[in-house]
Parts: sequence; C-alpha cells; structure tokens
Amino acid sequence: MNADYAVWLRGIEKQFPGVIACAGADLRVRPGTIHALLGENGAGKTTMVNVLAGVYRPDGGEVWVDGQRRFFQSPADAIAAGVGMVYQEFRLVPTLTVAENIVLGSAPRLLRSAEIEQRVAELSAAYGMAADPNRPVWQLSMGERQRVEILKALWRNASVLVMDEPTAVLTPGEAAELGVALRAMAEEGRSVIYISHKLDQVVAFCDEATVLRHGKTVATIDDLEDVDLTSLAEMMVGAAGGGYGQRPPALEPGPEVLSLRGVSALNDRGLPALSDIDMTVCSSEIVGIVGVSGNGQKELAEVVNGLRRPTQGRVMVKGQDVTDAPPGDRYRLGLAYVPEDRLGVGLAPKMSVVDNAVVRSYRSQRRGLMLVMDKCIKFCQDLVERFGVRAGRLHDPVAGLSGGNLQRLLLGRELAERPAVLVAAQPTRGLDVQGVAAIHGHLVAQRNDGVGIVLISEDLDELLALSDRLLVMYEGRVVVEYTPDVTPRTVIGEAMAGQVRA
Amino acid sequence: MIRIVWRPFQALAGNRPVLARRENVVPATQAVAFLLGIVVALILGVILLWTSGHSPAEVYERMFDSAFMGTDSLSRTLERATPLALTGLSVAVAGSMGLWNIGAEGQMMAGAIVATGVAMMADGLSGPLLIALMMVSGIVGGMVLMLGPALARSHLRVSEIITTLMLVYVAIRVVEWLETGPWKDPESFGFAVIEPVPEQAALPGLFGRANIGVLIALGLLLVFWLAVSRTAWGYELRLAGSSPDTARYAGVSLRRKVLTALLLSGGIAGLAGAVQLTGSAVRLESGLSNGYGFAGIIVAALALMRPSGVAVVAFVFGAVQVGGQSIQTLGVSSAISDILQAMILFGALVAVVFFNYRVRWTGPGGGSSSADPAEPDPVEPDPVEPGPVEPDPVEPDPVEGAA
Repeated sequence: MNADYAVWLRGIEKQFPGVIACAGADLRVRPGTIHALLGENGAGKTTMVNVLAGVYRPDGGEVWVDGQRRFFQSPADAIAAGVGMVYQEFRLVPTLTVAENIVLGSAPRLLRSAEIEQRVAELSAAYGMAADPNRPVWQLSMGERQRVEILKALWRNASVLVMDEPTAVLTPGEAAELGVALRAMAEEGRSVIYISHKLDQVVAFCDEATVLRHGKTVATIDDLEDVDLTSLAEMMVGAAGGGYGQRPPALEPGPEVLSLRGVSALNDRGLPALSDIDMTVCSSEIVGIVGVSGNGQKELAEVVNGLRRPTQGRVMVKGQDVTDAPPGDRYRLGLAYVPEDRLGVGLAPKMSVVDNAVVRSYRSQRRGLMLVMDKCIKFCQDLVERFGVRAGRLHDPVAGLSGGNLQRLLLGRELAERPAVLVAAQPTRGLDVQGVAAIHGHLVAQRNDGVGIVLISEDLDELLALSDRLLVMYEGRVVVEYTPDVTPRTVIGEAMAGQVRA
Repeated sequence: MIRIVWRPFQALAGNRPVLARRENVVPATQAVAFLLGIVVALILGVILLWTSGHSPAEVYERMFDSAFMGTDSLSRTLERATPLALTGLSVAVAGSMGLWNIGAEGQMMAGAIVATGVAMMADGLSGPLLIALMMVSGIVGGMVLMLGPALARSHLRVSEIITTLMLVYVAIRVVEWLETGPWKDPESFGFAVIEPVPEQAALPGLFGRANIGVLIALGLLLVFWLAVSRTAWGYELRLAGSSPDTARYAGVSLRRKVLTALLLSGGIAGLAGAVQLTGSAVRLESGLSNGYGFAGIIVAALALMRPSGVAVVAFVFGAVQVGGQSIQTLGVSSAISDILQAMILFGALVAVVFFNYRVRWTGPGGGSSSADPAEPDPVEPDPVEPGPVEPDPVEPDPVEGAA
C-alpha cells in the first residue's frame, strides 16, 4: 500500500529547543494530485515539508517517497529522490540568467549554453510557463521568478513539488496561471504539495487536503469538492476550546492609550498591506487581532511601532501624534512591543543576555559616555528574577536560551519600565504549555494593572481566552469587531476567510 | 560557450564537509590557536628551507634574533607594527559593523597628502604644534577620502568594498601627480620628488627606530577598546553590527552608525598615513603606504575585528616582516622569504578559523547517524526554515528621515 502514495510522512516528530514543532503528524499524498497542507502558523506545516525536503532530520517517524523509505541527510538527497521545493523566499542568484539558475547545482560537467537554453525553452513551453532563458533573474517580476523556481525543480525531474505560500507574491492573474501549470504537472503524474492560507485558492486548485494543528494531523480530506470554505476554516481554527482556562473577568476600560486613524501601509514588496485602519485601544483591555497570516497583522504591528512608515493616516499614543516619531521615542512615551520575530528583531542572538536585557533601557544605564556594567547586570538580574527566566550565565549569548525563556526575557524587558500600551505579536507561538501559561499570566496581570494590550495571534483559542474585544483582519482591513463571549467561533472562522456574516 | 564545473567532493560518495561555528569559544583559545598556527607554519617552513638549500635552524634563529632580541631589533618590529596596528584598527572598526574597508591603503595616502599640505603651509610652527596639526589633518584626509563611499553605503547601499578599493588607486595617482607637478621639489635636481617634511615635524623617537607613533597607536587601541566595550555608543555599534533589525527596533539609527563607523575607519587609516609620514618616511611619495593598508585587512581578520587582538597581531605581523627581511642577509632569496612570511600568516589564519569553526562530515546512510552525535541541533527556537543570512546592516529607516 506504500506504493499508493507519492509521499507518505508517517508519525513525524520534530522538536526544537523549547518548541515541539511536530508531534506525530501524518501526510499522505497520492500521485497525480494537488494536495493542500493547511494549518495556522506554527502548526508544523513548514517543519513537515522541511523534513520532506531533507532540511531537517525528524526525531521520529518515517519518510516515504514513491513507495520507498528514505533517510535524507541533506536537501541534495531529497532532490535526488525527486522532491522539489519552491520556498516563499526564492533561492535564485539575481545576476545569473534564467537558464543558469535552472541548471545551478545540477549541471552536467560541460555546460553547453545553447543546448541548455533550448531545453529550458522546451520545458517552459510544455507547462505554459513563459520564461526567456537568457534574461538575468534580477530583471524578472516575482511571478516570473517563481516560474524559474518551478522550472528548476522540473529540470531535476521532481516527482513531488512542494510550494510554500506560492500565491503570496502573485497578482490574481498570475495565480490563475499558476493553477493551470500545476494542474498540467499533476496530469503528468507528478504530485504537488500546496501550502497556503488562502482558502478560496485551495478549494479552487487542490484535490485533497491535510489539516495540521499543534503539530498533529487533525483532518485529512480525500476530496476537496466535498467540503466548503466554512468547514475548512473551522478545521483550521479547531472546534473546541484550546484548554487555556477561564477568561479573566473584563474590567472597565480606562482612557484611550493607542489609536490609529485611517492608516494605510505597503508591505516589503511595495504592495498594499494595510488599508484605512481605524482602531482604538484603551487602558485595561486586551484587543485581539485575529486573521489568517499575511492579512496585514505584521505590517500593523510595525506601523504602530515605527518600523514601517504608513502611506496615510496617523498613529497616536496617549493622545500624542507619533506617526513620524522613531521607535525609541515611541517606547519612551509608553509603547512597548514584543515582535513576532523574537531572535532577529526582538533580541540580538549573538549578544549576551545582559546586552539584550538593556536594549530598551541602555540610555538610562549610563554615567557620562560610559555604560555602567554593574547597573546593566543589576537590571538584567531583576528581569530574570521577576519574570522567571532560566538564563544560565548572563554573559553567554542569548541564543542559547530556550524559546520559552527567550520570550520571558523579551516580554519582561518590554514591561520593565511600565508601558501604557503593549503590542504583542504571536507571543506564544512555538512555546510549550508552561511557557504559554506564563506569558498569558503576564499579559492578564498587565491588563489588570492598567496596560492596554494589542494581542496579535493566529491561535483563535488564545485570542478567545484572553481578548476583551476581537478585531478580524482580512486583506489589510479590519472587517468586523466581535465580542469573544457571545460570537460563535464558526462566525469568526468565516470572517477570517473573508466572509463576514452580518 | 563551454564552461568546466568542478565538483571536488563528489567522489566522496555523498560525504560533505560542513563548517559549523563552535559555541562558547574562550578568548584565550584564540591566542593559543594563533601561536599554534605559527608553529605549524614554521615546521612546514623547514621543508621549504631545506629544499631551497638553507639551514632552517640558522634561518629561524636569525629571524627571531632580528625581530625580538635587543632594543634595536625590538624597535624595528615596533616601527613596523605601528602602521599595521593603526590600519588594522581602521579595518576592525568598520568590521565590527559588518563593513569592509578595503581602502585603508588609499586613506593612508590621503591622510599623508593633507598632512604634507598643511606642513608646507605651516612650516614655521614649533615641532609639537606642527605634529599635532599634521595628525589632525591626516585624520581629516582619511575621512575626506572615505566620505563618498560612506555616504554611498549609508544612503544608497552601494558596496563600500568596491568604492574604498577603487579610491586607493585614485589616491596613489594623486600623489604621483603632486610629485611631478604642483608639489615637485625645485631643489631636487630634476627628480620628481616632493620636498621633505620640515625637520621639526619628525616624530620624537622612543628608543632605536621606534618613535612615539607606537604610543599613538597603543593609545588609540585602548580608546577604541574602551569605547566599543564600555560606552553606550559602542553598545549601539555592537548591536547594529550583530543584529541590525534589533538595533532599528531599539531606536538606533543604522544610517548614522554606518556613516560614523566608516568615517572613523577612514580617519584612523588617514592618521596611519600621517604617522608614517612624520615617523618613518622622509617625504610624501607614492610608495609611502607600502602595503600597510592592505595588510591591515589581514591584521583585522586575524584579530577577529577586536581592538585588543589588533595590538597582538600587529606586533607579530611586524616581527614576521622584520624577521623575513633579515634572513635575506643569509642569502635567502626575497621570494623564499616572502613565501615563508605568507606561510606564517596563513598558518595563523587557518588555525584561528579552525578554533572558531569545526568541520563536520555529513555522511550517507541510516536515520540519525550524525558524524558527531554530541553536536546539538543548531539553535532554532522558531521552527522556521533556515535561510541564508544576509550580512547587510543597512535597512532603510522608514521614520528616521522625518524625525
């Protein structure tokens, strides 16, 4: 029966320090089908396909490709076994031509350019993916670059093509073309694994689906024609509560501490990411931002914190206009931020625990020009104690801490100087149960203490358990506001998929 | 068009070497590695000397004696080490921000040009005053040559590697033009040379051939070590260099940090030029920088971009140069001497790399057979796929311009 599947990932387990990414997840893909892999961010999708692509070695479980058990040691082994990966961030050399990129890494010893270019041209014609082999990649649009990535996989004769969020960079027209090309590949007997949050496209392009939640497979759908958008959304967000305990009783909201008026912004690719956002956060309340990933949540957090410039609108903290203020000024005004990317934005991985603890407050640890090390260490020790960070030696690089402790340190640092507003983006993603409980405890305690909190999360259970108000974001807009206690989760799930029920 | 693609490790049946960074490297081990590399190179050098018909014992003894034994030898080593320490520091300051100043050679020249010009105009001043003025003008000269590359880097993200390198040749050509044209010494009997710097501008000697340039270099290294490790400014620099996004989030202006790091780097190299001009050279000439600027890149790399390391490496580098030259009096050809010097530096560099990285062989075969079972998985707190890290500290600051 193994031969029935082009790909069979069986009981995959994968753990990272402090994080369980996959806890026995399964994925079965039949040959000649387009298979959607669904789930919230952090559900384990990327880890699963990275196991398939040989990037990670699983801690447990089996990898079968084309009916054979495989033990991939590296991506090269996976490529040799016929697995082709198209990452969201393209891995192309901008200065090389299309043909050179396609053969890169799998070139014959002697490169005959004319011959290669002709074969590339044939390949692109066969799948209706126009690509001029002679053009350098830097001249191409995002859609064209994606075609080059796909052609690269086809050049290596991939029998399984993995596409991670393929349409995120495409215009609607390009997305439709991609659908046609993928179908052509499936009809040849190749399989496609398609990761996406855009449920309408999933339903339009794919034959079957697997839904992951918290590192486990929660649903397999053999025929997507049998299900509708709403039930897919439900499967993704889960039907029952996530066991986060009782909602803390709501408080009377205090004065307005953060407000956005008509804010619009672009994403990194220069496409509209936020349009005309109006929102207000008062002290002593938690405002949950819900939405499937990529609907503007990241850009919203960045605009509020001064890391992204809005194209329109104003941002106010405690009634003061901070639209043009740099991030440091906003922090001093009382705006704290726990960014989604903990190591990289929130913390500097190679620097010590102490250095990271004072990222926000080093200006007040000075005497003259000098940074007073004793004060920094004292500040750091206080943080470590108050927020229960198990930090080891304070002068070691912070990257050695586990995920939960990194987040405790980061949250503690942001709360150390009693902010008025806290923006927390995915604060519990990837943490273990204890870590999640600790972070939730701190958030609720801060709210009770009068802090206004914006909680951005893709875990609906978390938002339902903590938020006093819930704003649904879809395609860069706040489409609707719900009260968590009274709104059925299915209604919220539909709104996340863009279907607001009046 | 036919191109040959060479794949060296394919024959090893899927075994691939991977360089993995060692965690928690104790700074002292760097020094051990450095010395060990030199010893290994000296042992390999025995073969070189034997095959070229020299007695290794005699050659090494001469090298050691002429570099270290006696005040005269030591002073020669210090004389060499001074410009190397300054250019090494210059490259290291930029390097701590992830930037590469490849053009310290040119900035040295620019510093020497401006210092010479100032000396011509102010040759009536007393010694200390003139020297101080020339040092400052050296710094200014280096900064001026760096201004273009620094602004292009901070505002337009133009690679500083290319621009600083190209300006080296511009600076050298300017000196050649001054030699033959505007600054040609009328009393040079037709030779194309610039008149010597005023006598009172010569740096006071310490002992032997060493002058107070040594103290200038040491003082500057100390200042920078303190500034980088102990000041808020240095903290911002380290933060911006090691994690630009975190720095931006902390409210540090990356543009300004890139600009200051590069300008300081240029200024220090310019000072090296002024020190060389007033310390060891007689006059400004196209050979004044003598490769010290380029050697500074090696010094900084061996010192892992740390000011404290620069001092040690520059001293050893100076000794290798002095020793390498001295063995030519034993009949060792300059080519063999150069090879020997290169081997010693190469040995040190290789050793430092291997003390910071380990080679891991990934092999084919069963499940979780890692070549080194003790090796933990790379720290990956978020289960995101690892991508190549773009070592690019300059992101556009969205709100900075308006602030």
